[in-house]
Amino acid sequence: MRYSTALRSGTAAFVLGMVVLGASSVASVKAWADEPVVQEEESDIIKLSPVTPHRILVQDTAGTHAKDGRVYVVDADKGKLLGMVQAAYNGNVVQDPKGRAFYVAETVWSRGNRGDRLDLLPAYDPQTLTITNDEVLPGRALVTPKKNDLAINQDGSRVYIFSMVPTNAVHVIDTATHTVSQTVDLPGCALAYPWGKDGFTSICADGSLANVSLNGSKAEVTHTKPFFDPEKDAVFEHSPTRRSDGKTWFISYSGLVYPTALSSDSKVEAPWSLQEAAGMQKAPAAEAPFAKTWRPGGWQLSALHYASGHMFVLMHEGTFWTHKKAGTEIWELDTATHKLVRRIPLPAPATMVGVTQDEEPLLFTNDNEGDLFIWDMTSGKLLRKMPHLGDDLYFTVALGE
Amino acid sequence: MSQSDVSLRHKAPGKKDDMAHSVIDRTIERFTRRVASYSSRRSLLGRVGAWVTFGALIPTLPVERASAAQPAKPKFKAPTPFSANAQTTDATACNYWRYCAIDGFLCASCGGGVHSCPPGTSPSPTSWIGTCFNPGDGQSYLVAYRDCCGQDACSQPMCVGTEGDQPSYRPQANNDIIWCFGTGALIYNCSTSVIVGNAS
Repeated sequence: MRYSTALRSGTAAFVLGMVVLGASSVASVKAWADEPVVQEEESDIIKLSPVTPHRILVQDTAGTHAKDGRVYVVDADKGKLLGMVQAAYNGNVVQDPKGRAFYVAETVWSRGNRGDRLDLLPAYDPQTLTITNDEVLPGRALVTPKKNDLAINQDGSRVYIFSMVPTNAVHVIDTATHTVSQTVDLPGCALAYPWGKDGFTSICADGSLANVSLNGSKAEVTHTKPFFDPEKDAVFEHSPTRRSDGKTWFISYSGLVYPTALSSDSKVEAPWSLQEAAGMQKAPAAEAPFAKTWRPGGWQLSALHYASGHMFVLMHEGTFWTHKKAGTEIWELDTATHKLVRRIPLPAPATMVGVTQDEEPLLFTNDNEGDLFIWDMTSGKLLRKMPHLGDDLYFTVALGE
Repeated sequence: MSQSDVSLRHKAPGKKDDMAHSVIDRTIERFTRRVASYSSRRSLLGRVGAWVTFGALIPTLPVERASAAQPAKPKFKAPTPFSANAQTTDATACNYWRYCAIDGFLCASCGGGVHSCPPGTSPSPTSWIGTCFNPGDGQSYLVAYRDCCGQDACSQPMCVGTEGDQPSYRPQANNDIIWCFGTGALIYNCSTSVIVGNAS
């Protein structure tokens, strides 16, 4: 009995061995057959798929050699660089709301650092990263890139370009014809916060807003009353706007949030405090410059997830006038309830926060090594890091933002 | 050395002990004789005299003065956090008092000076303005941050002073704008800080 069992198991082992051997030899033959025969090749170019919510643009100012600025195209799901385009000298970038194109505002000189100046707005095909139109601009402001020096309207038919030469103005570009449809003079005001299809608002030096309504080739400008004191508690240029309805949350240096409905007749609501939302005392402004508390700061220090109304603000501990200091935490706030949702500690201080606009949103932060950190917005967990994506990552642009 | 002496004493008294003593005696004797052969009472007096005379000057040496000045009680009350940590001697450090609102590369570290452009660049006639407190004299001054232009970024360590820095809708107080208007090329190299008036 025992013998026959042993015999049977021995036979089984033999059969199994033969099967394995056969299978492996088949596999090796197959592998040999699959080995590509080295032959002549032709160069080709990768073509990307249409833009997806998690394919983002990342602006790199390359501040230590600013003529070499660029915009990276990144697959944030894989943490993979898909390509890049130049964005020379304090360049800026906006994307068509449906992802049909993106536009880079840049400046070059005919002989590198000298010669004739050329301000440009190349339109890029987002799948081939080739220029479909290389428009020459009448000018643009040369300033360390801030998102709202360049903006696009709700249907992608107009691009707004802030200019300071010779005086403050916004050039309105018709993206179908690639021409300047009009230039709106805005003495004493700057930047462009788009609302809807036919208008934008600029912030003025006295703490008021200038609202620009566009009708064909005509522009009507209205002004609000001043609602903040720029010398004591200015609002950040990097405050987030929801373009579809023009809702904007102007964040001040001290941490006040002014919910504002931008339109031809912009309405500014009473401010609420970031610190009070987190159960702390409201932070003082320039009148108490030594007061140390949690404050907003950085460069692109805020981002808004439109659908949830959640706002993300980079915060650090510091005195007043530390509004450019990198954040050590992200504060997630509910703009409807004015309450803190969560504090996310960062592995490295960040000057930039970005967000995608889909239902499984990703958050982005940077550090001073040029790394890009990719977070799950819903859980607040770090997913991955792209080491040294660039030199100076200033902001991200996601589909639909 | 002393430990080995002790162990020697404990483990092997007698001969070895005597030997140890004699080694010490001989060494000291040799040293004493050498000192005696190279020196005299006069030279000893001379050296002592020299110390008495010139030693009195030691407290007046610069190192002593610096340490005497150290007790870091500032003479004037600083009005802002930047000025509370500012210094007046090193124009290549970010906390130099005039840099309270500077943003960029220091011309003083780029071949220029605190109010001088490096060779190969030219100063912009336009600028943004800051108000900085000088902890040396207790006065506040208007400082014009004039960019030097014509070459790309100098790229020495960056300094970002943000006191009184306002957004670009207040251009006169904004340090993000490329202040190279009116120069041949608008490309930014570094920033100087020029006193243009007393603000106290």
